[in-house]
Amino acid sequence: MPNTDAPMTTVASQPHIALECRSLSHWFGSKRVLHDIHLTIQRGQFVSLVGPSGCGKSTLLRAIVGTHLPNEGVVQVHAKEASIPPSPVQGPGRDRGIVYQHYSLFPFLTALENVAIGLKLDQTTLADRLFRWGHWKRSRKGHLEEAAAMLERVKLKDAMHLYPHEMSGGMRQRVAIAQALVMKPEIILLDEPFGALDEATREELQKALLELYEENQQAKAAGQLPDYTLIIVTHELNEAIYVGDRLIGLSQYWDWKAEGHSAHPGASIVYDQPTPIFEPHSVRDFEIFEHQRAAVRQEVFHPNHLQPRIAPDSNTHPEA
Amino acid sequence: MIRRPIASTTRIILGLLSVALMLAGYSWLSYRQHQKNPKDTTIPNWSQLSEGVQRSIQWNERLEDRWLTDDARATLTRLFAGLGLAVVGSCVLGIAMGCSQSVEAFLAPPLSFLAKVPATAVIAVFMALVGLGMKMYFTMIVFGILPSMAITVYQSVKAFPDELQYKAYTLGASHMEVVCNVIFPYVLPKLLEATRLMIGPAMVYLIAAEMLFGDVGFGYRIRIQSKLLNMGVVYPYLALLAGFGFLMDSLLNALQKKIAPWFDAQH
Repeated sequence: MPNTDAPMTTVASQPHIALECRSLSHWFGSKRVLHDIHLTIQRGQFVSLVGPSGCGKSTLLRAIVGTHLPNEGVVQVHAKEASIPPSPVQGPGRDRGIVYQHYSLFPFLTALENVAIGLKLDQTTLADRLFRWGHWKRSRKGHLEEAAAMLERVKLKDAMHLYPHEMSGGMRQRVAIAQALVMKPEIILLDEPFGALDEATREELQKALLELYEENQQAKAAGQLPDYTLIIVTHELNEAIYVGDRLIGLSQYWDWKAEGHSAHPGASIVYDQPTPIFEPHSVRDFEIFEHQRAAVRQEVFHPNHLQPRIAPDSNTHPEA
Repeated sequence: MIRRPIASTTRIILGLLSVALMLAGYSWLSYRQHQKNPKDTTIPNWSQLSEGVQRSIQWNERLEDRWLTDDARATLTRLFAGLGLAVVGSCVLGIAMGCSQSVEAFLAPPLSFLAKVPATAVIAVFMALVGLGMKMYFTMIVFGILPSMAITVYQSVKAFPDELQYKAYTLGASHMEVVCNVIFPYVLPKLLEATRLMIGPAMVYLIAAEMLFGDVGFGYRIRIQSKLLNMGVVYPYLALLAGFGFLMDSLLNALQKKIAPWFDAQH
């Protein structure tokens, strides 16, 4: 019997994929790094990626950014519009933003120019800028206004005209986040973004990310698609649980013998669980997730704790 | 403790003192020489120097020339033409080498080799190949400084962090945009610095070539006038060359600070 009471679901309540990794494997010569990674990220998710050093977190992130393509498997980025078919990653592109720990900004541009350069590179071409000067002048004005508004959002209105070397590490990372946000990419990748910052600055920036998450929640409540999807790679477990809503553990410590491999095939996903959601202004209390932290330490980081990896089909994680 | 700081007045006084001592020492040497031989021109006294300056800036009715302006025009034209081509060429070659491994493999060996050949030693070859005149000076300067400048630019492109390149692509840049909007502004101050440091060598090559083959220009004038022992003309010319070097140095320094205020903080 056909389902007559047609679901009143809005777009937002249906799972809406932003990024997919399928059967992704990577190795360097005889050194196996990643083994058969399957990962599906829903639009609006804030995914924290953790794992022991040498587990291939960076390799996975590079495969997603597209700077170092995997030996096997495919990464696909899905557009917001359902009519556009997902495109396989063949190199770095404007649909995936990146925030690095170091060299996160162009040293020869001010904060404002650093944020505006993406709009310039994306929306105009060299030929436009050379031969359609009047047009370029007008678009430039718009770009600078948009960039200024973005900097105001990350609370850097007064630092707009500073060069990166004149800013603190925390300010630089804020600009880098604004630089990625202004492009409205499908997903933003953060590679240990706050690793070089002191604790207080790090907390401020974590809260800035939670504010984005809050905007996502508001969008969903209003029946719209959330704007921000992130993967944050971090070695700091508290940060992973605090900022993310889903925690992925990548580890070389899993029971590969049980799958019939004669040699270590590389790291795979061994942990995939939702994490508690924090509001940016609530108390930052790490006690309440002590239990989860202990579980992650055991299952992801412990060399002698070998469990089966997460089965490829089970990690299309529904909304937490 | 070494490097103990001194007051700025002390610094200025010491600087002025050294100049004064130099001038006094020169006057004394000249005085001694003129005691022995009143007609001496190897260490001209101040009035002889001023005559030399007069001679240089005077219009000579018979020969229809004015040394200083004629020489300055010839030397500066040769210098700036050579420098200009070397700067543009080294920028293009250096960036091409830094961005493309094929170009790097093709150009790096010959350029490293050419950068080691002393240009002054190759003057005779240039003369045979391109003949006398503007072309020779031009070739001389370009040959002398382009290879090492291109290598400087190339190394600066190589030092460009990969992260920034990747980032540019995630911001929607094309390959050409990465080169023009990201790599070029990154190496520009380095190029200006290399230019500043290469003005000295360029002058060496040019003056040497002018001394050997010129019929006008600073090198030519200095050679002829020192053969005639007219040091009253030679010394002001040397002072002028030093002043020119000093001026170019500060101009390029100021230009670099103006267009790349971020650069000093990076190093």
